[in-house]
Amino acid sequence: MKVGLFVPCYINELFPEVARDTTILLRNLGVNLEIPRNQTCCGQPFLNSGYESSLPQNFEEIFKKYDYIVAPSSSCVATIREANLSVSNKTFELVEFLHDILQIRNLAKNHQPVILHNSCHSLRMLLEAAPSELNIPYFNKVKNVLGCRVLEARRDECCGFGGVFSVKEGFISYVMGKSKLDDLLNEDNLKDIKDIPIITGVDMSCLMHLKGVAEKENIKAEFKHIATILREANETL
Amino acid sequence: MKHYELAIKFYKKQGPRHDKALWAIRQKRDKAIKEVKEWEILRTKASEIKDYVIENLKELVDEFIKNAKKEGIEVYFAKDAKEHNEIVLNLLKEINAKKVVKSKSMLTEECGLNEFLEKNGIKVIDTDLGERIVQLRGEKPSHIVLPAIHTTKEDVAEILGESNTDPTYLTRKMRKLLREEFLSADAGISGANFLVAEKGYAVVCTNEGNADLGAILPPLHIISVGIEKIVPNMKDLGVFLRILARNATGQAITTYSTIFGKKENGKRVIILVDNGRFDRLNTQFKETLKCIRCSACLTTCPVFRRSGGHSYRYIIPGPIGSLLAPLVDKEEYKDLPFACTLCDSCEMVCPVKIPFSKQLREMRKYVTNENIIIKFAEKSMHSATMFKLFSKIIRLTPKPLLEMVLREWSKYKALPLIPKERFIK
Repeated sequence: MKVGLFVPCYINELFPEVARDTTILLRNLGVNLEIPRNQTCCGQPFLNSGYESSLPQNFEEIFKKYDYIVAPSSSCVATIREANLSVSNKTFELVEFLHDILQIRNLAKNHQPVILHNSCHSLRMLLEAAPSELNIPYFNKVKNVLGCRVLEARRDECCGFGGVFSVKEGFISYVMGKSKLDDLLNEDNLKDIKDIPIITGVDMSCLMHLKGVAEKENIKAEFKHIATILREANETL
Repeated sequence: MKHYELAIKFYKKQGPRHDKALWAIRQKRDKAIKEVKEWEILRTKASEIKDYVIENLKELVDEFIKNAKKEGIEVYFAKDAKEHNEIVLNLLKEINAKKVVKSKSMLTEECGLNEFLEKNGIKVIDTDLGERIVQLRGEKPSHIVLPAIHTTKEDVAEILGESNTDPTYLTRKMRKLLREEFLSADAGISGANFLVAEKGYAVVCTNEGNADLGAILPPLHIISVGIEKIVPNMKDLGVFLRILARNATGQAITTYSTIFGKKENGKRVIILVDNGRFDRLNTQFKETLKCIRCSACLTTCPVFRRSGGHSYRYIIPGPIGSLLAPLVDKEEYKDLPFACTLCDSCEMVCPVKIPFSKQLREMRKYVTNENIIIKFAEKSMHSATMFKLFSKIIRLTPKPLLEMVLREWSKYKALPLIPKERFIK
């Protein structure tokens, strides 16, 4: 099984440690992982801003030789899924890949409690958990893979990032981020947390936005991508 | 003013209250739909029926007209808003009507009927409680099922000249005032939630019974309705009656769900309105014709809850409005498909499974002009070498300049630190 690592462009530019942790984690789990050097962007920023883009086709060319393609980002994976390409159904978000393909559970079961932000693309497009809008039984793949105590927000609504939205509607984006933060850090969730709360998720873009709000508002929280938590946990197993 | 400016104004005034009120309704809805174990099957069924309807709309319209006439209803077909308004005016002139009582109809809002009739000397009284409140305030509805959700009980007391702000007291007062209007009206106008093709019936769902009073008391009842409201038969109607109120407000069914055929004590008229709908069938936006106006997409939308309906400036706001408004006026409403985070909540609550995210992205494309610089950037991004060059430029840009370029972000949030090294170097 040959797996290609898709490093979303914003991860490559702004959060190289997330790509590094994903790589280490997957290799430690015995995955035969390759990182194509010529990869770029999935095209999401263009497609979501009202422009045409053939970047998904470019992606297909680069990644079609792999059995699976894994990326630490649900929104980029959703873009490839929606593009209806030969690679669409073999492209997975990291947790999805661990959960559905490698069948991994409880990888971080000894980890301290974490607060999980279920991002929209993970929740409603990739169905990595049961969205509250649907009448389906509760499940959460991220929780299953983590295995430690995972706290969630009361409302599973959007954090307000929304890519182009965050620069077109800065104010509403900010107030949505603020209410998401308040909800993630609600008093029930904080009851059993002694240290600085850790907020995690599968999308660094949402976490970047929430971190930006937290810094402006002087809210104390640590923002850690799921890949980092899983990599650390796997190394201490 | 554009959406983002109106949103700031609204949020600062009453955003948190509005958000809380609508989220409570979303939760009521969630609870109600979870009582129906076959809910997701019902959604699939409803979506399939609507797919069938939009594929066979012409035939269904013909079938409906034939059967409604057989039932004893007078039927007109209006090509556009202007034709619709003139038909209504002529019908009212025939009986020398001076005053009409109207119940909620988004279609008459779409056609601007109230203004047109008032201009022609006919008094129009909106009879849905929420609609009456906004009418007295000289406003438009801000939500298609909860038209006055942006107002408070104090606002209502003020328009009624009352100092008592008790909701029950105010409702009774309004009820008394409206009862007099019902009894003295010359005609009633309503919309319809569904039209049943096999029978020629019109189905109207309300919680206040105001449409029923308007349909029964005056000698003339006019129903103005968009052609996409047709369902093939009574069995299909059952699916929608089970879905509509649960999804809209969390009620098992609307208090009044009336099936109208021939009017016993006068004349019933149905005006089927096209107003661009047949043309829309041939566009990438034809799936918007599946909408049953349940309003769940507005209520769940995290942007709508914080920005209020008026920030959309079109009579139908929220996610569905952002798909409809630009089709009416592309330039005026081009900001609306961007007043959205593509969070997909609307698609998840939609009872007829309109693919909102896909349609909203399609609408963004529709309102966006080609841009040569963006085109160049997109082409460059096919090459990892070019991408690297961009990355270098950004890393060399001084932070204040970046903050200025991204000012909509940096006004409210800290920018992330840019690390020295990329992962793939």
